[in-house]
Formats: sequence, C-alpha cells, structure tokens
Amino acid sequence: MPVVDVQPDELRRLTGHEDKSDEEFKDDLFALGLEFEGVTDDGAFQLEFGPDRLDRLSVEGVARSLRYQYGDARGVSVPNTNDPDWTFVVDDEVPDERPYVTGAVVRGVDLDDAALDSLIQLQEKLHATMGRKRAKGAIGIHDLTMLKGDVLSENASGNSITYTGIEPDGDTFVALDSNDELTPAEVLEQHDTGRKYADLVSEYDRYPAIYDEIGLFSFPPVINGRRTEVSTDSRDLLVELTGTDQWTIDRMCNIICYALAARGATIEDVEVQYEEGTVVKPDFEVETKHVSHDRIETVLGVELEMDEVIDLFERSGLDADAELGEETVYEVSIPPYRVDVLHPLDLVDDVGRAYGFNELEPRYPDVGTVGQRHERSRLEDAVRTSLVGLGFEDLLNFHMISEEENYARMDVEVGSEYLGGGEPASITEPYSEDYTMLRTWVLPSLTMVLENNTHRAYPQDLAEIGHAAHRDDDENTRVAEARHVAAVLARHDATYEDAKARLAALCRDFDAELETPATEHPSFIDGRTAAVVIDGEEVGVVGELHPKVIVDHDLELPVAAFEFDLSALA
Amino acid sequence: MRLPESQVAVLNAASATDERTIAQLAEATDQKPETVTGAVFDLRDEGLVSVTETAAESVELTDEGVEYAEEDLPEVRLYRAALDVGDGDAVPMGQVIGASSLGGPQVDIALSNFARKGYGHIDSGELAPDAGADPDADEEAAALAALAAGESVDADVLDQLESRQLVVRHERTIRAVTLTDEGVTALMEGVEAAETVDRLTPELLTSGEWEDVEFTEYNVEADAPEARGGKKHILRQTADRVKDVLTGMGFAEMEGPHADADFWINDCLFMPQDHPARTHWDRFALDVPPMEDIPEDLIDRVRDAHLNGVGEDGDGYHSPWSEDFARAIALRGHTTSLSMRYLSGHEVGELEPPQRYFSVEKVYRNDTLDPTHLLEFYQIEGWVMAEDLSVRDLMGTFEEFYSHFGITDIQFKPHYNPYTEPSFELFGRHPETGELIEIGNSGMFREEVLRPLGVKCDVMAWGLALERLLMLMYGFDDIRDVHGTLCDLDLLRETEVLK
Repeated sequence: MPVVDVQPDELRRLTGHEDKSDEEFKDDLFALGLEFEGVTDDGAFQLEFGPDRLDRLSVEGVARSLRYQYGDARGVSVPNTNDPDWTFVVDDEVPDERPYVTGAVVRGVDLDDAALDSLIQLQEKLHATMGRKRAKGAIGIHDLTMLKGDVLSENASGNSITYTGIEPDGDTFVALDSNDELTPAEVLEQHDTGRKYADLVSEYDRYPAIYDEIGLFSFPPVINGRRTEVSTDSRDLLVELTGTDQWTIDRMCNIICYALAARGATIEDVEVQYEEGTVVKPDFEVETKHVSHDRIETVLGVELEMDEVIDLFERSGLDADAELGEETVYEVSIPPYRVDVLHPLDLVDDVGRAYGFNELEPRYPDVGTVGQRHERSRLEDAVRTSLVGLGFEDLLNFHMISEEENYARMDVEVGSEYLGGGEPASITEPYSEDYTMLRTWVLPSLTMVLENNTHRAYPQDLAEIGHAAHRDDDENTRVAEARHVAAVLARHDATYEDAKARLAALCRDFDAELETPATEHPSFIDGRTAAVVIDGEEVGVVGELHPKVIVDHDLELPVAAFEFDLSALA
Repeated sequence: MRLPESQVAVLNAASATDERTIAQLAEATDQKPETVTGAVFDLRDEGLVSVTETAAESVELTDEGVEYAEEDLPEVRLYRAALDVGDGDAVPMGQVIGASSLGGPQVDIALSNFARKGYGHIDSGELAPDAGADPDADEEAAALAALAAGESVDADVLDQLESRQLVVRHERTIRAVTLTDEGVTALMEGVEAAETVDRLTPELLTSGEWEDVEFTEYNVEADAPEARGGKKHILRQTADRVKDVLTGMGFAEMEGPHADADFWINDCLFMPQDHPARTHWDRFALDVPPMEDIPEDLIDRVRDAHLNGVGEDGDGYHSPWSEDFARAIALRGHTTSLSMRYLSGHEVGELEPPQRYFSVEKVYRNDTLDPTHLLEFYQIEGWVMAEDLSVRDLMGTFEEFYSHFGITDIQFKPHYNPYTEPSFELFGRHPETGELIEIGNSGMFREEVLRPLGVKCDVMAWGLALERLLMLMYGFDDIRDVHGTLCDLDLLRETEVLK
C-alpha cells in the first residue's frame, strides 16, 4: 500500500484550515481512508492508503480531498489552461517499445523547499505505482528557462523539443548528480540511477532520448540531464512523460498538473505531434458515467432523496445531473485526476463514503440456504477423530519442503516407484532453500517433527492427514494432489506390530479390508515393510523406519510408521 | 464379628472407662494417626465407640522466637551492651549498637522494646540504661524459655509474644475415645481381623471372596503417573469451529486445487496482469507446463473485461493482457480461486441465487517468515450470492460470524481491492484486551468479476487468516510454535482444547 509523507503545516496552508490541530487532521484523514502510520524525522505525517486514489500521493491531493470533505469545495474543478507555445515532436526513430509521450508547460510556480520536496515525492510515488517502477510511465520535470526550443517552420511563434531514439552510444550528456559527459549506455553502467533502471531499456535497440535545440537533455525513463535540473529558483517548468500506454501517462501528468495548479501555477497546453496526427495535452477531458438511483439505493440498502444523492456526489468532487425517466439515472462527471473509476459502481462507492458507511445499520440477509461440509472434509475429519482415539497427536505441517528433506534424508530417489518417490512439483524461483517444492508425501514432515522434539517426553505417537502432491503432466493443473494419512510411533520398543495394529484398527473403523503383503521401501527396514492394501488396492506402506533414516534425523529410538492415501477409506 | 485390622487394633486398645486420645491410640496400636482416626469414625458409625471432641490450643515458637529463646531478646542484648560500654552512664547510640552486635531489623526491634520495658531512656541519640532494671526477670524471656521447654505460660505474656510474632497459636481438635456398651459386648464375643487385599482380582469377584475382604487404602491424594491421549491440532480445532459456525449459517464448503492457473487465481478476479502482487516476487510459480484446459469462452470474456471493462460505461485496465500469462500455473495466493471456479459454474454446475459457500484451506504467499507470517497459512473464505445485496447485508453477516468468536463492535473501514467495490477492511474488538484489531477484508465482487463468470446477481465475499483468529483466541505470539515442523510437541500437548 502506498505511503505518502505530508507536512501538517502544508496541509493547514493548502486547506485554509490554519487552526486545525494535528489530532483533528488525523481523524479527518482516517475518515478519508488515509491511515496515520507515524511521523518522519522532520515531522511529516506518514499516511498509508489503498492504491486506488493515486491523486492523493501528495500533500496537494490530500488537501484537495480534505476540502471536499469539509465542504469547502464542491463538484468537479478543472484548471484553466493557456494556449500551447511548445510542441513535442515524436519522430520515427522513437523506440517501438516506448512510443508514447505527453506533458505540459507550467508557469509561475513558487517552489519553496516544502513545495519542491512534495513535487519530488509525488514524482517518485507515481513512478512506484501507476508508472510500474517507470516501466509503464516515467516523468521528467525540467526548468523551462534552460531549454531552447527548435523553431518550427509551420508555427513560427512556437518552440519544440523532439522525442526520438538514439544508438546506446549515439550521443553524450551530463546526467543529474554527475559531472561527466556520458553516453546513455555509459550512464547505465556508471551512474547509480542508470544501473538501477538499466533493465528497463537494456533490451532496446534504440534508447529513448529527448532533444532541444542545444542537444540531448533527457534519457527517459532513466535520468534527466543536469542542464535542466529544477531548483527552488525555477519559475517555469516543462513536464514530459514517456511510457508504454498513453492513458496511463496522461493521467500521471494530470495528477502532477493538478498538484502544481493547487499552488497557484498556470498550466499551459503543449502539442504532441505524432506521425498520425497532433494532439493537445494535458488531457483534462471530463468523462461521464451513468448510474441509476435505484442501484445506489440497493447497494447502500437505504432510501435516498435525489437532492441528497447529488449533494453526496458533489461532496466527493464529482458532478451529477439527474436524468428523469422511467428510472432516475445520474450522469456523473469525473475529474481528470481520477484513475480509479472503471465502472459506475466505483461512483456508488464514492457516494457511500460521503454518506458514511458506518452510518448504515447492519442487517442479516434474509435468504435461506443449506450449509454442509464437503465430502472430503468430512472424511478427513472422521479419520482424524479415529487417529486421535488411537492416541496419536494430530499434527499440521507445511506443504512446502526441500528436496533434501523430501527425498535424500528419507533415502528415496526422485522418480522412483516407491511412495514419496514421485517427480517434484518445484517452485520456479524459490526464496528459501527450505521450501523448494510441494511435499510428495507426509512422513518426511513427521520425521522432522521428531527430530526437532528429541528433548520432549516419549512415546511420541504423531499423525497427520495432509496434502501431498507430485508433478503429473496428465493432470490439467500438471500437479496430482492427494491427502495422505501418515503416522509415526517413536518409542523405545516400537515395532512393526505397533504400527500395523493401529492401522488395522483404523481400517476397521471404516469397514475397510486391510492386507499387508511384504514389500520393499528404502526408508524402511527390509523384511519389516509391507504394502498397505486396502480393499484390494495398494495405497501405501507400513513398517519400521530404517536405522539410517532414524540416525540421520538424530533419533535414538526405533520408529514404526505408515502412510497411505486417504481416499482409500472413502 | 470381623472388622478390618486397623479397627480391631483400635477396639482392643480403647477402654470403656478411660478416655484415650487419638495420639495415645496411635502409639498403642503402632498405626498412623490418620489411620486410627479413620478407624475410630468407622467404629463410631458401627456404634462400638463414642468420641468426644475438645478444642485445644497449642503454641509454637516462630523461627525468630526460637532464636531469642537461645540468644536473649534484642532489647536485653542492647541493655547489657549499654551497661558494658557506658558503665551505667548514657552513651551514644551508635556505639552501643556496635557493641551489641545487633544487625538489620533487630536494631529497631531492640530500640522499640528497650524503652517500653523500662530498660532505660533514649534521648538525643544517647541511650541511658536504667541500672535498676533486671534482665533476668524479663517476663517475655522467661516465657520464651518456658515455651521452648514445652511448658505453658501466662496468657497476657503469650499475647505479647504473639504480637511480636515470636509465637503462633494453633487451634486443634482433640478426640477422645471410649468403648460403648456395644463395643464391650463385641469384644467379649470376640472380634477378628478381616483379610485385607491390595487389588481386586477376577478370582475375588467370581469366588465371592470379595464379601469378606477389606481393601487396603491408597493415598488418593498422591500424584498418579502421567497419562496422555492424542488430540486434534489446535489449528484444526479452530478450523472445525469456523466450519461449524459457517455451516450453521447456511454455508456449503468448497474444495479445489492448491496448484492452479493464474487465470483462476488472479485473472478472473480482475487483477491486472501488471499488478505488483502478480510479479514473481509475490507468487510461487511452479516449474510445470501451462494449463491447457480452460473454457475458451470464459477466457474471451475475462480478457474483454480486462481490456474493455464491463457494461456500457465500463473501462478496462490500461494494461496488457496475455493468455500465456493467465495459463501459467502457481500455488494459489488465496482461496478466492475456488470461489471463481464455483461461481463460473464449472465446479458444481450453474448456481442460481441464493447461495452461500465457504472454505477454510491453505494459501501460499511469499512473505517474510516471522512470528505472525508464514509462507503458507489457512484462509477463511466465504461468499453470499443473492439478488440485490447491500452493504448492510454484508455488515449483518459479519457481525453474526464474528460474534461466535467473541469479537464484537465490528467496524467497516472503506478500502480498495481490485476485485471488490465497495470494499471494507473489518475491525473488531478483541474479546480479552478490548483493542480494535483488523479481522478481515471484504466487499461486493465487482461486475468485472461476476459478469464474465456468468453471474447476473450480486455476490459479497470476505477473507480472513485462520491463524489470525487462532492467535486472537489463544494469545499465541509465535505461530511457528504450532504450525510446521518447528512445532513444540509440549505446547501442542498442553494447549487447552477449544470448548
């Protein structure tokens, strides 16, 4: 979940509520769904919230939401924009992988330290969320006065910059936080930021690059040039965003523009000249969606007046026009900084939040259904009850295990025909060497529990009914899953007979016919091992664990054991 | 007459004319006083003896009392030291205390009793012994000596000693026994000792000999050897309780694969494929070929929902959607994959509202292993399908469910999930500590989830980790102690069962 750092003094200034205490703000923010997580070293609130309202990733956005909550603002607000002076030319050298660009010119910004910090934070947070770590969208903000536009012949009054693609070593520039003239390829190798984002472009044939008349000034999505670095002295800014999806970078741009406009800056349109045509950005178009009065009432479970609904919409920063007809439908206008409204139901949620969900009276839904346990779950429960009755401690182990524990320490070879020898369903990139596959059988887990509890009193009679799985490409999921019944008896005089006696008692409980023809299994002692044959089908193994398995698990007493497929008792 | 051996001995030792105490009888019969007491009461019930009870008091010296009986009272030692040091004159207190070799609390005891008992005066830090005082005539010292010798002392002095906590008094009952006329008659007619046996044997029962034997008495208060049965794992017990509650509320249990296609785990849930939770760091991808058999029409509808949204005003995600990505197989990160399979109609056939379903099954998440997070844990998942469900129905259902676990005062914090809208984090009041704690995540499934599955009505759902419920109910602070191969058998054996 995103966390945004917000200075309470900035919040006071931007909301116009200079007299609000920190505690009052915390309560108001919680009501918005922004949870107070703590304070930074320099006194900023750390606020955590769901990743839907990304327009709240800066103090300006949080303040805007609070103003709606306080009733200081109502309805949709769109900043005025001035006519374009700058053009972004997208030429045909642009990398195919990153074809989109957008942006804006922002004039008359007043960046004190707090405002600059907030802008940098907003940029970083947008990169981390919507920008998918800059892969989907990356923002560059430049001091406009440091740029010299190419004069476009078609538009004598305007300036232009060019978004293009260059060979990795096709040009040089001085990157931020550096003093060296480096090629983009050298930046990826030598610059800290370059190394961090190298993976994003290293597969590209041509690297994204932005030029003005002076030369290369930005290497998106990796780093800007030092020439156009923004400082507290900057008054006019050029914002550019490149990415893999036009909508995504347009919305990221809108969120930035709204934040700067909230501090009194003027937004100026730019023209983006694609090969297929020219478009004007930023895209502040107000979209509409339709939602019926009836749907709002059913979702909230309360009856509402039309005026009340419109009021709730406006308090959410939306506008609503009622269209009367057979059923009342609202045409709802959505401001261009919202990135979370995919469906009319998202607007119903806004109404609910403005109404206050906790104001609603809970009621138990008046629909009748019949409850029941699944057949498999009932069987498992019945077998577990029998095992406990036979004196076993019921255990519960992880389904994930290491190959070492599952096979080698039990002396079973991968791919052998013995119980537990099935091919592993392996985890592609395991994070821990202890958990690299799903266990193919349960006895390795029980033996590990014995190993970890040698300081506890004996006898240790342990049982587990648990999940076991192995790779099987004939299955739709490519994994054959089963529940196994496994038990160990660790006691100074444990014998084959002890295990068989309990196995037989269990089978009797389920009216199942047990036979135990002699067999071999590498985990067990030859001549003291039998196949578990239930109702004529071989489903498992019973015997005395082999001394090498026992000793390998640091045990100093005999262990009798059995394991078989639970479905045999169905 | 046949009586148990102990009763025969007591009857023989008792007299019709002289009262004999239990202690005397015990000595005379060479039996333990508690055995004699038992025999006496049995004989009284038979009418063979009569018992009189008198209250008696005994006095015992405390450890401190014993010490003073042997070494003199502190005030006496102080007085003697003062005489030695000052030769009858007043002397500085510190000097006297040093000479008396009194230490710790004894100094205060000595000083407070010194003046009280007229051994002298204390003034301006000087101690003036009264030459006329006679420590050898100290009543309290004499009484201590007398008590140590087993003699009785005057009640006033005893009160004084008790207030100084040098003695404790015990009240006890002295029972004296005399033979009744019936007792005398019985003795004259002859009383034999009955045979006593240690174990009741099959032979005794079948031969009828049990009627003539007495059973030796056991020390029934002594510890017995430890007995241990098995029991259901505490997490299973908790799961069973959850299943009981939910089936009672009309929910039916779901079942399905742990390894499943991302399609069922995430795509059906309207999780965009470039969502951070779907990157390889968060999921356990399995090294197996992709799933082949997924209904094609369902794939088409789900893809369309992701790309274009659902309904006239719906928008899709501005993210790429790849079928190969959807077919890849991983361990499920939530059991919502089961809900998707059931809601799609491919698990138990098309579902008509109303329906309620649940599962309490394992899910797999790449989280850091710590006392409260495991790589695999149990998720409680439940959903209700009906026409026109409201947020109020959702709230009412959760209030009912959590009340069965003592969790009340449920609060709903609006929240964001990609697959539900509205969504709520659930908070509730801890039954023991009263804290407000997070107890689950919930919401109404989005139309982008339901419509591609073919569901035309509303479905509300919620999820919660079973381990979290267990930790709340039991106060475990490290879940690894109970779940997994590092579990502590003693903890499992000794944990109280769920009532």
